[in-house]
Amino acid sequence: MSDGEYDYLIKFLALGDSGVGKTSFLYQYTDSKFNSKFITTVGIDFREKRVLYKSPGPDGTSSKGQKIHMQLWDTAGQERFRSLTTAFFRDAMGFLLLFDLTNEQSFLNVRHWMSQLQIHAYCENPDIVLCGNKCDLSDQRVISENQARELAEKYGIPYFETSAANGHNVSQAVEVLLDLIMKRMERCVDKSWIPDGTVRANGPFTPDPSEGSEGSRCAC
Amino acid sequence: MACEKEIWQKIGEGFVQEYYNQFDNTNRMGLGNLYSPDACLTWEGSPFQGREAITGKLVNLPFKRIKHIITEQDFQPTVDSCILIMVFGQLQVDDDPPMAFHQVFMLKSQNCAWACTNDVFRLGIHNIPV
Repeated sequence: MSDGEYDYLIKFLALGDSGVGKTSFLYQYTDSKFNSKFITTVGIDFREKRVLYKSPGPDGTSSKGQKIHMQLWDTAGQERFRSLTTAFFRDAMGFLLLFDLTNEQSFLNVRHWMSQLQIHAYCENPDIVLCGNKCDLSDQRVISENQARELAEKYGIPYFETSAANGHNVSQAVEVLLDLIMKRMERCVDKSWIPDGTVRANGPFTPDPSEGSEGSRCAC
Repeated sequence: MACEKEIWQKIGEGFVQEYYNQFDNTNRMGLGNLYSPDACLTWEGSPFQGREAITGKLVNLPFKRIKHIITEQDFQPTVDSCILIMVFGQLQVDDDPPMAFHQVFMLKSQNCAWACTNDVFRLGIHNIPV
């Protein structure tokens, strides 16, 4: 799955308290196929998925699409010990920040995770999508949609109510995050594109398929 | 030739066995009794002082099941008649993949009983993927 050609390698990271459903969320997104790869030395688990990203062109027409190789990084439980190694944040371009709609503490801890992100992520305002998970458990819900939306607005990030159990909004949340990242890369790329006016098929960030995470380098 | 174990090693082994038995097989409330009243715990860099704070931390760890498997344990007597212990092993929590851990204990004899005065815990995970 990790071999073959792609235009971009994008690394996402799932964050949030233990028990909010990060692993189930990623499992649901990767078509319920269990292809997790655990790296013992850094306590990180990751899954992979290929998607085709189509951004609307400047004239409104859809471009031919870019092959995205996504790596979805999961903590594999180290957050239970309150220890997230900086390895976990390294090179990630986008962040899925999850809390549990039935657990108030996990919602209050969103603040903690945001500050961790601001310290360890590649820049101070990385692309983040906030997900209130377990929305299928409506009778146990303790956080209202309004409360969550207010918090997301405060941070200026999109919010989704998701259910890793039934798949509600799971792929939508990831797609919005991917869209934010691709737009950010385009903004960076534009600067280098415009002067010489050349348009390369895969853009300047084309990774060498034999190499590592070239796609995660953003010039912002 | 069978070598008689030193006294500090016997005491240390007994402590380690009791500590992880309590940790894995009880609600962890009893762990507090293994610490001295003013003991120090450093858990993944966060400090906790006193038996009450330590018990609170250990009891409230967010998992249902944990299993420690000891790989190696080392013991030394100190100049002030304490026992220094280093444990190196793996732990598995609920359905998570197993992770390495390191734990260091200092035991001191107080009122004719051995109690843990210092405890330092770290997961064996690193910052740089290899």
